[in-house]
Amino acid sequence: MLTKTDPRAAAYVNLYAVLGACENLCELDPAARALLTNKKPLKVAFEVKDGPAATLLFKNGRCRMEDGVAPNCDIKLPFSSCEKFNGLLDGTTTPIPSKGFTHIKFLLKSFVPLTDLLSKYLRPSEEDLKDPKFREISTILTLYVAGVAIAQIANNDQSGKFSANLIPDGDIAMNVKGSVGLTLRVKNHRIIALKKRCDKPRACMEFGSLDIAGDLLAGKLSAMACICDGSIAMSGMINMIDNVNRILDRVSQYLS
Amino acid sequence: MKLYKFEKSHEMFKKAFNVIPSGIYGHQGPSEGCYIPNNVFPMFSEHAKGSKFWDLDGNEFIDYMCGYGPNVLGYCDPDVDAAALEQLKKENCVTIPSAKMVEFAELLVDTVACADWAFFAKNGGDVTSLAVMTARAATRRKKIVFFNGYYHGVAPWTQKLDYPGILEEEVANNIYVDFNDYPALEKVFTEYKGEIAGLIATPYMHGNFVDNFFPDEGYWQKVRKLCDDHGVVLIIDDVRAGFRLDLAGSDHFFGFKADLICFCKALANGYNVSALCGRESLKDAVSSLTYTGSYWMSAVPFAAGIACINKMKALDTPAMFDKLGRELTDGFVKAGKEHGFDLVVSGAPSLFYLRTANDDSLMLHQQWVAECVQRGIFITSHHNHFINASLTHEEINRSIEIAEDAFKAVRKNNPDA
Repeated sequence: MLTKTDPRAAAYVNLYAVLGACENLCELDPAARALLTNKKPLKVAFEVKDGPAATLLFKNGRCRMEDGVAPNCDIKLPFSSCEKFNGLLDGTTTPIPSKGFTHIKFLLKSFVPLTDLLSKYLRPSEEDLKDPKFREISTILTLYVAGVAIAQIANNDQSGKFSANLIPDGDIAMNVKGSVGLTLRVKNHRIIALKKRCDKPRACMEFGSLDIAGDLLAGKLSAMACICDGSIAMSGMINMIDNVNRILDRVSQYLS
Repeated sequence: MKLYKFEKSHEMFKKAFNVIPSGIYGHQGPSEGCYIPNNVFPMFSEHAKGSKFWDLDGNEFIDYMCGYGPNVLGYCDPDVDAAALEQLKKENCVTIPSAKMVEFAELLVDTVACADWAFFAKNGGDVTSLAVMTARAATRRKKIVFFNGYYHGVAPWTQKLDYPGILEEEVANNIYVDFNDYPALEKVFTEYKGEIAGLIATPYMHGNFVDNFFPDEGYWQKVRKLCDDHGVVLIIDDVRAGFRLDLAGSDHFFGFKADLICFCKALANGYNVSALCGRESLKDAVSSLTYTGSYWMSAVPFAAGIACINKMKALDTPAMFDKLGRELTDGFVKAGKEHGFDLVVSGAPSLFYLRTANDDSLMLHQQWVAECVQRGIFITSHHNHFINASLTHEEINRSIEIAEDAFKAVRKNNPDA
């Protein structure tokens, strides 16, 4: 158990898992879509020195993330270090574009409100969670963020790499009963997260409900206790799930 | 066959969940015990005798987990229990130890090939920890070599970097290599020359979720020499396999001599005692350690251990277990074949590990195990099993019938598998 997080791994989590959830936010919440409709398609690139790079593509009220800096991006946000980029998410860094000064309005009027909305779902207040629809969206987004964060931590964090090194190749399903699911694809001890249900898993972890998933990901429930009382069902190669749970434990350190 | 129901077990589990972390924590609970799905497994036993236990709902199970090893002669063995009760009438946990401790130590020294002395504790983990401390004290070195897939208990040094509650510093001196890969081991010994205190290993790989396997021909002899050449203490963790392969120790079974050997499970047929045995050359190092516990010199488990070892000797249990294990697993394999399932048996017959090889996910195997449990044999999908001396041919035949019916049910649910 490492007691500290690694800024570089945090940058990968923040870019791919947290900002990457903009994709799903736009699918799930009409308010998010509304922020992007009737706008010209736009590409916003993030480039972190000694860290990750990705581009968010906004088009027709939808959003998609692509790996790397798109050559024809409209806005480019460079960060001199992983720490500076992580500051963007906790509000201590103000990004300065190196390209796309004419699109500042989009950043201020669309992108910032979109990420504010994302934060509202990912760090929900108890009051907001009383609304069933809000709670549902919040949990689904959290599940996707956690899934992608598992992959990023498995590939970039010291403890995560240790866990991933013990996971054999194959697909791991993380499903919510009667709802969404995601696939963790393991190959040569590296993981990619696919935001879709798994067709042929070697191991499966199924949350009994969205509420169980939400409470577990919020750190209110223990995975071990949930497996014991049956609110999380597991099957297949349990050693794969066991090691994913160890990475999931680390995810909470990065996202807390 | 009629399927069992587990209503009372699960009612009790709900109560347990309120007052005990996870309801039942550890390997005897639904999570680490891999109860898949967890509603078709019994949670609590009510009584046990011989090879069987009965759960709270009155369901009878022929038990191949044997309490995860301690049941070596049969639950409530009359000879062991009589010895324990006789001792209990005299004394158990007293200010100074009973002379039974000396009698037990003498018996172990006479029984275990590499033993010149015995040190007693309670659980397997107590003595694996003691072994590692001894190796470090004797060599004044830090590092310990492990084989990947190991299990040596739950003390912090046995856990891993990514386990909750375990500090990086507690596992910083652990070195991991693959079993049977002698060149890799040799490389590690060269790389860390003068830094390795001990090598700890089970006598063969009886890990979970994977087929169990034996050392290659001559492997242990080469490892023994390597340890001697580098002044490394060779520790055999015989907690699980001890006395089931060879009453003189599993190192003896594989034709080499350990420096330290750890025993627990089969030592006293369920009475709580463990032992570290070792060579004369390490006796002073053990003596130098601060290591003790309130119950470690209780006399009842010593009396039980003496009776248990003497009975195992009289019955020649390793030979018996080998025969019974083969009879049972041959029957299981045949039952699987009848329904198109390839059941793979690995490890020693006395500690057989099972895997259905028709898929690569263990899901079919987990289904079969669940069907078996619901019909009255208690097996697991992830762990090796255990044979005990009270197991009868009738119980084996009944187990094979159940296994066959369980395979039939799995085939019905998976016609294309």
